[in-house]
Order: sequence, then C-alpha cells, then structure tokens
Amino acid sequence: MEFLSHLFSSGTLSQLLVGLSRTTILFIVSSGLSLILGILRIPNVAHGSLYMVGAFLAYTVIHLFGGGVPAFVAALVIAPLGVAALGFVLERAFFSYLYEREHLMLLLLTFSFTLIIGDLVKIVWGTEYRSVTLPGSLQGSAEILGLPLPYYNLFLLLVGPVIAVFLWLVINRTRMGKIARAAAVDREMVSAVGINVGWVFAFTFVLGCFLAGLGGALIAPMTNISLGMDHSLIIEAFLIVIMGGLGNVWGALLGSLVFGITQSLGILVWPKFGIVFPYLAVVVVLVFRPRGLLSSTW
Amino acid sequence: MKKFLGVLAGAVALMFAASAGFAADAIKVGFVDTYTGPATAYTNDVLDGFKLEIGKINAKGGVLGRKIEFVTRDDKYKPDVGLTMAKELILRENVDLLVGTISSAVALAVSDLAKKEKVPFIVTYAKSDKITGEKGHRYVFSMNENSEMAGRAAAKELAKKPYTKYWIAGDDYEYGHSIANAVFSHLKELNPKVQKVGESWWKEGETDFTPYITQILAAKPDFVIVATGGRGMVNFQKAAQSTGFNKRVPFYQHTAIELSTLMPQGQNAPEGVYGTANYLFYFPATKENQAFAEEFKKAYNRQPKSGALYGHLLANFIAKAYQKAGKVDKEKFIDAMEGMTLDTPVGPMEMRACDHQIALPMFFGVTKKSPQYEHLVAGDVISVPGKDYLPSCDDVKKARAK
Repeated sequence: MEFLSHLFSSGTLSQLLVGLSRTTILFIVSSGLSLILGILRIPNVAHGSLYMVGAFLAYTVIHLFGGGVPAFVAALVIAPLGVAALGFVLERAFFSYLYEREHLMLLLLTFSFTLIIGDLVKIVWGTEYRSVTLPGSLQGSAEILGLPLPYYNLFLLLVGPVIAVFLWLVINRTRMGKIARAAAVDREMVSAVGINVGWVFAFTFVLGCFLAGLGGALIAPMTNISLGMDHSLIIEAFLIVIMGGLGNVWGALLGSLVFGITQSLGILVWPKFGIVFPYLAVVVVLVFRPRGLLSSTW
Repeated sequence: MKKFLGVLAGAVALMFAASAGFAADAIKVGFVDTYTGPATAYTNDVLDGFKLEIGKINAKGGVLGRKIEFVTRDDKYKPDVGLTMAKELILRENVDLLVGTISSAVALAVSDLAKKEKVPFIVTYAKSDKITGEKGHRYVFSMNENSEMAGRAAAKELAKKPYTKYWIAGDDYEYGHSIANAVFSHLKELNPKVQKVGESWWKEGETDFTPYITQILAAKPDFVIVATGGRGMVNFQKAAQSTGFNKRVPFYQHTAIELSTLMPQGQNAPEGVYGTANYLFYFPATKENQAFAEEFKKAYNRQPKSGALYGHLLANFIAKAYQKAGKVDKEKFIDAMEGMTLDTPVGPMEMRACDHQIALPMFFGVTKKSPQYEHLVAGDVISVPGKDYLPSCDDVKKARAK
C-alpha cells in the first residue's frame, strides 16, 4: 500500500503538470501523424525523421540569430515552415503518384525516407550532438510545493491548448478542412463533385509535416539533438495514434494525455518500472476498445 | 585452346602473386566499428587518433620495413553485422589483426570469432567488463576502461564523502545497470553505512527527465548515482540544469566531466556534477598531453576526446608490439603485447599480461566553469591510477574459471 501513498504526496501536482507538458509535444507530433494517416491513408514512418529535421533546423536558426528570445521565436516559426516545405516536395514528387497504391507500398516508401532523411541529416549537420540554449527568460524553474517545475514546461503547457484550438479551427471552420474531412470518408465522391482532391491532400500532408517540425523545434531546448532521436518518438506517436483511434486528431489528443500522464504518475508510484505504465495503458485500451478510444476514420 | 588455357593460368598465377605481394608489403589492420548513427560521435575520434599516429609511423618507414594499412567496416551497432564484417576482414582482406567497436554486443561476438580463428582482436571502446573479465581469452585485448573499472574508481572517491542515502537512476539497458551496480556495490564495500533508498530506470533515448527528477527530489536522497550513457549524458544534464537538480542534490555520472558531454552544452552545463573520465585534454597538464592535444587539434580542428586517446594508444601499441615481435606473426604479436609498457600522453601505460587489459588512469572531478574555454571543464581533478581500481589478476582468473 506504500506506493499508493505516493499518489497523494506533495509530488503529485508537479508530476501531473510535468506529465501534461510532455503531452503537449506528443500531441503536436502525433496529431500530424494522425492527420496524414486519417485523410491520406499514409502510414508515415518518416514522420519521426521530419521531427528530427525540425529539431536540427531549430538549432541552425537559433545559432544564426545568435540566441535570445527573438532567435527562439524565429526558430519556432522557421523550423516548422522548413519542414513543411520539405513535406511539400515529398508530397508532390512522390506521394501524389502513389495514393492508390497498397498500404504496404506506402509503408516501404516512407521507411526508405527515414533512412534517406537520416543520412541527409548526417551529411548536413554531422554526427556530433547538438544542443540549443533557452533564452534567459525561459531558463530556471518555478517552485510548486517545494519541487521544481521548469519555466519551459510551463511554456509548453500554454502552447498545447493553442495548437489544439488552431487545429480545431482548421479542421472545422475552413473550407480546406471540410473538404479534407469529406475526402477522408469518400475520396471519389469529393473529386466527382469537381473538387481538386490532389491539392487538398497536399495541404494536409504539409500541415502534418509542419506539426512534426514544430514538435521537433519545441523539444530542441529540452534534449540533445542527435541522430536517432526520430526512432524512439515515432514508436510512441504510432502507439498514441492507434490508442486514440486511427486518423482521429482528438483521439491523438486523448492518447497523448493518457500516455503523458500515466508515464509521469507511473514514475511517482513505482520509479523502478515507471516506463511500463504508458505501454500498459496502451494494452488496456486496446483490449477493451480494439479500435481505439475515439472513432477511427478508417 | 591450349594456348588460351596457358594464358589464363598465367594470368591467374600473376593475380595470386600480386595479391600475395600486397599482403606481404603492409601490416593490415581491420576496423569493425559503428560508423552510422549516434555512436559516431565517439567512434570517429578513435579512427582519427589512429590515423594521425599511423601517418607518423609510416612516414618514418613503418614497422619492420612495412607500412601499416587499415580497412574499415561498419557494424551498424549490430552483432550479426559486426560478425559478418569481421569474418570478411579475416577471410577476404587477410587482416593481421582486428580492432574496434563501441558496441559491447559486437565486441563479444567478434571476440568469440577471434578466439576461433586465432586472430588478435583489440577492443577500442566497448565498456562491458565481460570482454577482459569472464569472457576474456588469449586473443582479445582492451584499449579502454570498462564499467566495472569506472565503478571501482568512482566508488573509491565517493566513499570519502559523507553521503549515506543513495538513489540510483539510469538508462534501462546493459550499460546503465552494469555501471550503477559497479559503483554502488563497491561503494557499499568501502562504506558499509551507505544505503540505497530507491531506484528509477528510464528507457534508453529518453528525452524528458523532468518527471524522474521531480520524483527523485520528492524522495530526498543525499546523493544520486546517475547511470546514463551516450546521448543520455547530455539530456540528463540539461534537465538537471533547468530544474536546478544539481543545486538541490549532488549527483555522479560516469563521463560527466568528459568533453563529449560538456562541449555540446557550452556555458549552460550544470556545475558541481561529479564524474569520471579516461581522458581530459587539459589534465594532466604535462608536456606530452599538451603536445598530443595540440597535434590533434591542428589536424582535425577540434580537441581530442577519450576516443582520440584510445586511437592513439592503439596505433602505438600495435607498432611497438610488431617491432618487439620482430616479424608479422599473430602469436608473436600477442606475446609481445602482454605486459608491454608504452609512454603515452597520460603517462607510461601497461598492457596487463594476465587479462590483456590496459591500465589507464581514471580522472575523478567535478564540473565547473572556466574562463579559458567555451564549455565547462573538470575541477578538483584526482587521478586514480590503474593499479588502484583494476580488478586483481586473481579476481579475473576466478571470473574466467566460472
């Protein structure tokens, strides 16, 4: 029973907040993956690589601008746009010709992109670890019941809801979003009524890539930017998308919440085996709701 | 037709003669190491340190009148790939000896092959204590420290400190567990009052340590042993800096004071972190070490890290062993290597005869800012000589007998 008492200790609140800030990055990355999966039907394994490119671009931008708040803000804008541009090229040059192909083909193609992008990153940025420093005002940490909570995690807690609202507006309030949703349900019907589905798909793909890049830019100050950072993330992102319901952006949000919170509380309860809790949550969800928490678009 | 066959036979004979001539010309060293992915941050230093020395040795006419050449193969951090590459180097490239790898799994697999094929194999960066411990044999050597040795050296210094309530945290893989166990078990032997109040383990490659850090702080230990490796080193230190962890509770990480950990963080690395390392380019401030660091920097425009020292040692040990052996012969090479002592940038070093383990010194220090460099350096450095922390030859014998 001792471990239950940890749940009601002073650490719980800060642990919950830390878990929520982690949710933010998971949500941003996995919602992009989910959009592409739901509307374009592409299991984009290269999504993690785009996230890695976002982190490296953020590093370059911050160093070009010489640090400080303006450089950091510039990185948060330029890095995702750069990744979005890369996504646009990939979509027009490759994916736009392959939408009718089998999933296995698409999976292999995106897998080949993970290898190619990984090597390109190695050529451009080298193999050394890279690290970016936060602007002074975001360094340090606040104190919550005697335990530290870094200001940056608080900043992430603000960013998360902003992105969620932005996505809601794009999907529900714009013409593009409405067409994309319709195309996800019945692609042929949408093109039959005279809408150029190709461009809607391109837009969705680019938006998904933008989110991957944004996730990478946001994680950059928290971690060391290195080759291989894509691998661990892509697995988590896929688990979240599957747990939430394939292609459902709100499912990605719910999945990220479950993943982030079970992890941080799991660490509090049982630090030695904290890593198993999010995966356990995935198993439990899939046993009781094999199609995910929310309805899948597939 | 006969004529044609004759020409063909002649050509084949010529080809054989040519390849035999080539093999007799140079001493061939085969590298199997990880040259793709995150590990290259370490392995490239080994190769560069090696190249620099080989260049000098060859410029002076090589060893026994022969040049030293090398070929590299990428093991992709996978034992099966490493094994295939090592086989190819032995059978097709006819290498005189195998060296390399940062992966303990690859090192152990290749070590097994080296034993079967009777080819010497010098491990450059893998840190499993099994390599020269229980899985050691006549054909395998180690040119770096291992987790057991790092643990003994760190325990020796930590035991002098007043802390008793220890928390253990680390990357949940072989290296993390073995380094944590090595530090804590030896610490407990030296100071029986020490107790473990808890453990946390995260997956290798974890990016966000904040939840772990807040949980450890809530448990209020005196001291934390952080068993991270590779990119986890920097990631954890960044989290420690942003949460002020290092100011609330002191902690130790093997290689925390190494350049590979501190350089990427610039002036923002946490101060007061205890660490051990095999090599620091600014310590000891001897003529030999400064000369080595300057030469390396001139050649590659960066300061040498531990890997560069391993590469440097590798080249010089190989050259001197062949010199001593008097001919290029695998068994004679091993006999020559055993017990050989060499002057190195960090002082005279011995290759122990009983377990084929080099007796490098271990530096124990604490991170601090320096006006001289753009990154943090190690302060209060204590040099722990190899003989003070190496397992005894009897211990090794016992481990191998198991």
